Amino acid sequence: MAQLTKKDLVKNWLLGYSSETCYNYERLQGLGNTNAFMPIIRALYPKEKQAEELKKYLIFFNTEPSWMGTVVHGITAAMEEKRANGEDISADDIISLRSALMGPLAGIGDVVSQSIAYPILAGICISLALNGNFAGPILFEIIYKALMLGLGYSMYMLGYNKGRDAIVELLQTGLLNKILEAVSIVGLMVVGAIGASNVSLDLSFLNWEFDNALGTITFNVQTQVFDGLLPGLLPLLAVVLVWRLLAKKVKPTTIILGIFVFAFLLIAVRFLMGQYA
Amino acid sequence: MVFQAILVCLIATCSTWWFSHTITRTWLYPLWSGFLVALVMGQPLKGMMIAAAINLPYVGFITAGGSMPSNPQFAGPVGTALALASGMDANTASAVGVIIGSVAVFAWTFYMTVNANWVHLADKFLAQGNLKMVRVMNYVPSFFVSLLINGVPGFLAVMWGAKFGEWLQTFPQWIMDAFALAGGILPALGVGMLLNYLATTKLIPFFFLGFALAKFLNLSTMMITVIGAIIALLIYFYQNDPDKVGD
Repeated sequence: MAQLTKKDLVKNWLLGYSSETCYNYERLQGLGNTNAFMPIIRALYPKEKQAEELKKYLIFFNTEPSWMGTVVHGITAAMEEKRANGEDISADDIISLRSALMGPLAGIGDVVSQSIAYPILAGICISLALNGNFAGPILFEIIYKALMLGLGYSMYMLGYNKGRDAIVELLQTGLLNKILEAVSIVGLMVVGAIGASNVSLDLSFLNWEFDNALGTITFNVQTQVFDGLLPGLLPLLAVVLVWRLLAKKVKPTTIILGIFVFAFLLIAVRFLMGQYA
Repeated sequence: MVFQAILVCLIATCSTWWFSHTITRTWLYPLWSGFLVALVMGQPLKGMMIAAAINLPYVGFITAGGSMPSNPQFAGPVGTALALASGMDANTASAVGVIIGSVAVFAWTFYMTVNANWVHLADKFLAQGNLKMVRVMNYVPSFFVSLLINGVPGFLAVMWGAKFGEWLQTFPQWIMDAFALAGGILPALGVGMLLNYLATTKLIPFFFLGFALAKFLNLSTMMITVIGAIIALLIYFYQNDPDKVGD
């Protein structure tokens, strides 16, 4: 009876991190997955059947491959093991289960890795780095990788040991969503902090001086109007405006262009005020 | 300098050619890939600050299914190298980084398109039962594609960055002011993108809370994270088990 050793599983898990090495529009992670499943297929099937068994991986496949999606590979490895030992599991069963799981796990995995873990970590670490603290990039690298590998390994083993039930249960109870919602709170607060400390829009060049009987009176739009109303009002408005535009499906590239046009318009105002004379 | 340029070339190559995410997953982000470039170029402190500034507009960057609204893995290493070699300040580097990242989207599209060829070759090798070549197809050809479209610009940025800097010097002051102004506003894009992904109606106040804590009370991002974590835990516990809090 063919059985997978811990070593085979770890190899499969680690090689899964190369699933985007030959990333391409046609099959995305297909070739990378074929590469990742070599140790599993080699351990389970006789040499003449290996190429045939690998064909089920060289197809379109895409999930979040590093943080959560590893569970799909774990489940697959367990199915391959059963299939090699004569259980009634067809190649199509494996393919359809993988295709069914890749979407939901791409969804959760991207939320966890790209819209929670990354911005929180980057928010803290960029602030450190901008202040000249080397802990910024170093902490970012260490914590990001520790979380990614820790979660990736746990999810892989969960998939291998518990099979599809593990993930279906996790997706259905709503527990995961509650956790994600709670963590999103941290994310949003950090995002607010990033906005406050890093977006800058300063109109203090709009400055007029008037001479009258009482002496010189200065009127500065930035310090006397906007800062007087609320510190950081203009950066906040800029963020909210960008966000609403994105929500209306305006492309980021268009917004970038808009920001440059706006910057040049402000400079044009400075020209009119004679500041470049 | 040639040696530095070659190392930057390799960093830029591997920031797109992800040979293993155990290493390269964080190279997607300018904060880390730019820092590597800064180390290689012997200007760790200045380079780190520039890399962080280039990363700012990408704080809300999300890629799914291989689609990229911009190309931070190009802007990070190449932008940092260019900024260091040409002597830009951080705000200008951030603006230039965004321009580089936007233009370089086509490099990513090219990469993702051309790589399909290696998959077709892998199809043939697999049909012949040549497993070794299937693995080679996964790792080797895409390296050279990335070397060409990402590595070479990285190399050129180091070699000719000083010339680029001289050229920038000839720009009138108002253009540089406009770039710095845009560089100050651009981080709003990263923040806005993230809000677009994360914010559900009932969670939006937390964004404003974070903003207010930072702006009005001058708390650091780390302090705000801790406060956020406490609030998140409280909400999580009360929401799950309203009767059994504390046990």
